Amino acid sequence: MSLLDETVSVPRRTMTLFFMIDTSGSMAGSKIGAVNDAVVNVLPMLDEISVTNPDAEIKVAALEFSTGCNWLYNEPKLANEFVWQDVQANGLTSLGAACEELENKLSRSKGFMQSASGSFAPAIILLSDGAPTDNYEAGLAKLKANNWFKSAIKVAIAIGDDADKEVLAKFTGTNEAVFTVHNIDALKQIIRVVAVTSSQIGSKSSTAGDTTKQDQVISEVQNAVDNIDGAEVATKVDGSSYSDDWD
Amino acid sequence: MSELRTGEKISLLNGGFVTIKKELGRGGQGIVYLVDLNGQPKALKWYHNMPDVSFYNNLANNVMNGAPSSAFLWPERISERQKGSFGYVMALRPQNYFEFGNFLLAKKSFKSFQAMMAAAMKICNGFMMLHRFGYSYQDLNDGNFFIDPDTGDVLICDNDNVMPQGEKSGIMGKARYMAPEIVAGGIPDKYSDRFSLSVILFMLFYANHPFEGAKVVACPCMTEAYEKKFYGSEAVFIYDPNNKTNLPVRGIHQNVIRRWPVMPAELRDTFIREFSPEMLKNPQSRMIEQNWGKLIASLRDKLVICPHCGEETFIDEAKPQCMNCGRDVDVRRRLKLGLRTLLLTNGTRLFIDYDNTPDARVAVNPQDRNMLLLQNLTKEKWTAETPSGKVKSVEPNEFMPVKHGIKVGFNAANKGEIIINNQ
Ligand SMILES: [Zn+2]
Repeated sequence: MSLLDETVSVPRRTMTLFFMIDTSGSMAGSKIGAVNDAVVNVLPMLDEISVTNPDAEIKVAALEFSTGCNWLYNEPKLANEFVWQDVQANGLTSLGAACEELENKLSRSKGFMQSASGSFAPAIILLSDGAPTDNYEAGLAKLKANNWFKSAIKVAIAIGDDADKEVLAKFTGTNEAVFTVHNIDALKQIIRVVAVTSSQIGSKSSTAGDTTKQDQVISEVQNAVDNIDGAEVATKVDGSSYSDDWD
Repeated sequence: MSELRTGEKISLLNGGFVTIKKELGRGGQGIVYLVDLNGQPKALKWYHNMPDVSFYNNLANNVMNGAPSSAFLWPERISERQKGSFGYVMALRPQNYFEFGNFLLAKKSFKSFQAMMAAAMKICNGFMMLHRFGYSYQDLNDGNFFIDPDTGDVLICDNDNVMPQGEKSGIMGKARYMAPEIVAGGIPDKYSDRFSLSVILFMLFYANHPFEGAKVVACPCMTEAYEKKFYGSEAVFIYDPNNKTNLPVRGIHQNVIRRWPVMPAELRDTFIREFSPEMLKNPQSRMIEQNWGKLIASLRDKLVICPHCGEETFIDEAKPQCMNCGRDVDVRRRLKLGLRTLLLTNGTRLFIDYDNTPDARVAVNPQDRNMLLLQNLTKEKWTAETPSGKVKSVEPNEFMPVKHGIKVGFNAANKGEIIINNQ
């Protein structure tokens, strides 16, 4: 038997993609339906990115929050093992509690971040259509002190105009990482784009130079958003008032 | 974002057009379509967004200059700017080529060390020609290399970011493959390419990363800041003889632990030197491609078929044992070729020049099992001169005996002599 036949796969790190999903009462109906549909459809795409990637494998974790919060599985799962159970919407918007719960799990010893050959920083996608109903500031402050969170790729999807974009921007650290959608189709598309882009970039060795992974995700998602009807970047630069003066 | 429909026609710079047949794949930068160009199937890479003028002009220039070598799946035609974007036409990648990442994931493996050596030689030669053309390869990573596992032939893709040296495409390679000075923010040039080449070759030979050992595994979260350290300012070669902090870890870096001691010593010595702290800091002293080529040729000269187990093995002349079965291999029969020494055992193929095509095959004489023969696999006839001065010609596919003192002219450039030690 040749030495070549003994070759094993290179060790891979793990990149965990977190979905934090608002399942408060206002999400009921088509919004939550679209979220369920979009996540189910994006899982196979994440699996494909994972199996062909020599840098890292991708795992998925999902936390739904309403009056309280709840993990869909009590550990991160490979995308092809993650069987999505449709989430239901009712109750309040306990974002603060969800932040605290995420903070608990962003830990190697007591949380989700155990991996023999190490991890890349996670990617976290927060979806919400409203404003927090609890004292989110305390929970968010704790989360922001967490080193995993600090180096994570963070993107928020604001569903409709009632979403509190300021709160979402505090979560992501920049309003450029907050993307707003105005219809169900746009919601589905943006979930796919954000999940795929942040997984692709988050699960690869970073590029040489100064652009951060978070910046790369933002710029790729922004490009995609330009082509999704009903989706927009939170801070779209409005140049219309200058057009006359500067022609 | 610009997408194209089946049947759409895209006009090309300097005339002609391609017709879109179907989508083949998409990535962060663009979509690749199967297209028809004058009845020929080709691939068109179509950018999501209109890249800037300098990018377009650079690509147009690359098309005009042509491919540096057959290792490159080079842009053949560039489209005119239209429909909010543009694209370029290249040859289709054949089905039997697989991404280097697949080899790292052990989904594909080289059929033989001969194929592995061919891949190394082809990559080396590709880089040499690239630099000869004045380019540098900017966004090197494991997704750019496609390799045929049977023959080791290589195609280097994504050549749209190839730039004249000293210029920066803005699309940067993965930290894992980039030289420390580039990870720290420098502009890629031929010196940094040479570092990337040595990383790629190391991974090709040993199937693990040269800077990922105990120190790197211990890092729980590989943030961008840590990557800058481990591949940049604080990079430590896993077999640095003077710094054992980053040794490979049993159970994790299995391939390199298994292969490092059995692959040839000159390969070990070369990597120890090329990845030493001094060389990491002094880009200009890194080994040039031509010398990599010589080293690979010399490894290949010592790659023989073991007469006992029939597997390939590299021979360490100080201790000629098979790296698979451990038995002694008789390597008294040799071909001297200038400074090179090619070892001859039954079944071994010889590479006289650097074109990756075997030029001779060693066989055993059916009438006398102790006598080896050399078969001419080239299309030229060889001229052999015996010690007594008789001159014979060896036509393509014909055999000649492996006898001490016979001089062989393979072609104008390569003349060798058969040596049998202890005679
Ligand atoms: Zn053997």
